[in-house]
Amino acid sequence: MTSTSLSKAEKSYIQAGLLATPSSRADGRSLTDYRTIALETSVAPLANGSARVSIGRNPHDGSGGTEVLAAAKLEVENLEQGSSGVEGGRIACSVTCSPAAYPHLSSSALDDLQYDMSTILHDTLTHRSLHPKNLGILPGKKAWLLNLDLVVLVDSGNIYDALFMAARAALWDTKVPRTRSVEYKARKNGAATSAASRIGGSGDMDVDEEVVSGFDTRQIQHATDFELPDYWDEGDVLDGRERWPICVTLNFVSPVHFLDATTQEEAATPLRVLLMFAFESEQSVNVQGMRTLGGSDLTSTQLAELLKDGEKYARDIWQSLNTKLKEENIGRIKERNKF
Amino acid sequence: MASRVEILNEGGFRSDGRRQFELRSIEMDLSQQGHADGSAVITHGLTQVLVSVFGPREAKLRSQTIHDRANINVEISIVPFSTGDRRKRSRGDKRILEFAAAIKSTFEPAIQTSLYPRSQIDVFVQVIQQDGGLLQACINGTTLALMNAGIPMVDFICAVNGGVHSTRPLLDLTLLEENDVPNVTIAVMPKTQKISLVTMETRLHVDRFEEVFRLATEAGLVLHEEMKSAILGRSKELINSIDLGNNTRGGDGDDDGMTGLN
Repeated sequence: MTSTSLSKAEKSYIQAGLLATPSSRADGRSLTDYRTIALETSVAPLANGSARVSIGRNPHDGSGGTEVLAAAKLEVENLEQGSSGVEGGRIACSVTCSPAAYPHLSSSALDDLQYDMSTILHDTLTHRSLHPKNLGILPGKKAWLLNLDLVVLVDSGNIYDALFMAARAALWDTKVPRTRSVEYKARKNGAATSAASRIGGSGDMDVDEEVVSGFDTRQIQHATDFELPDYWDEGDVLDGRERWPICVTLNFVSPVHFLDATTQEEAATPLRVLLMFAFESEQSVNVQGMRTLGGSDLTSTQLAELLKDGEKYARDIWQSLNTKLKEENIGRIKERNKF
Repeated sequence: MASRVEILNEGGFRSDGRRQFELRSIEMDLSQQGHADGSAVITHGLTQVLVSVFGPREAKLRSQTIHDRANINVEISIVPFSTGDRRKRSRGDKRILEFAAAIKSTFEPAIQTSLYPRSQIDVFVQVIQQDGGLLQACINGTTLALMNAGIPMVDFICAVNGGVHSTRPLLDLTLLEENDVPNVTIAVMPKTQKISLVTMETRLHVDRFEEVFRLATEAGLVLHEEMKSAILGRSKELINSIDLGNNTRGGDGDDDGMTGLN
């Protein structure tokens, strides 16, 4: 899947550098160092939440570096029979690779690649344990569909970490508009008027003549439609946004592993292990997904060690990402209060 | 016109506060983007396009090579969140293919393709935001990216769109105006004042066409000045960094100085 072709000599040169003590990499990093990561949220004005992440972009001329753009957009979906809506809302992720990111790949190879990425991202992010609670609108009638679109603008290695980071930042940034359900009630004297009369035609009204009994435990929802009560506010943040997972790619050149591989290093690595961690809090961590890429194999003791180390790295990323996202948030509030 | 928005009010202002012939603010960023040989990010108001150029290089498919000149390959991708309602267009979408064909045919007279027989020049256009004037942004961005990649061209190509509201012509339409007003996009080569593209998807009265055409051509010349100064600015920046590289190295290794640019 790597677009660069590397000669045997180059491969062994890179591997020898990684295995040496002290290790040496082309850009002078140690095995567990990341390149500089830059993150910006709310970059797409027409999305409900968006982010741009770049890993290792040269600050002077802007060259190199993996770059990913992510945006979440909400749509209202009907929950009737035959429509694809799901009670409580759903999330759909898709990844698009710009042909400029992989200039050597043919368009069909590019489609395969973006399908692979979409699958990994979609499977991890749409897991039940991560589902936000506030994506429902009207129980049994309407719900939000959150479309998370990611675009790979440049790939200079370590694309999965960048994708997950961008996805997390975009979801963090997402605001769900507040909704208020609208219900139609009939007056006792029979002259039907709507309670929250905005759409108020008498034909489409739910006439309910019965006196409600105190013993009636059936919770029948009468709400038929919804409205957006305020338009100057963007809405609530997604529920449980701290939980969105983080991906750490451990590049395994037996017996060592290293982080944040460049394209060349990726081509020289026989096995890569993707580990997705979700942090409920500082202490409770879930492994949300795992994937190996590459043709080599791994013993279970090695895997256990990788998991342990991966968790440590993921915690570092989680903390710094949270700090950055909170900073962005504060910056935004300050900006708004200026007016 | 049965629209709620006033395209042009009595004071002569448009819905976004511009005058009739006023262009939106233009931003041109020619810095390096990724691995491209040349790239440009151009912003016309709220329309933003990133163009990356690769080549001239060997064609991916042997069948695409032409024996006496370079083949220009244009691919467009539009991010799904670039418009108000999310819409995902695949690579094979007819509208996108048509768009790509328009850009390709616009640049065929300007690029000196005969200098690179049996090779291919790839132009990848990534639409990041759109608010009308998409084709003009794509064409202007492609001109800048091609020049940034050092591909020999006969001339700049500057594109502007224009429309007519009742009898009064407008320039550089936003999406709102584009939906309401008959509009035409014109790409002009400023040195010779030749036109390499005229395209229109709506109906326009023949009496009005000449005026819009003349105005858009004039606006193209204005745009040319801006694009020229952007290209010159970028070149100066590069020359300065070459000098800087030579000085720190004490003037030795003349080809080593180039590594600072990559």
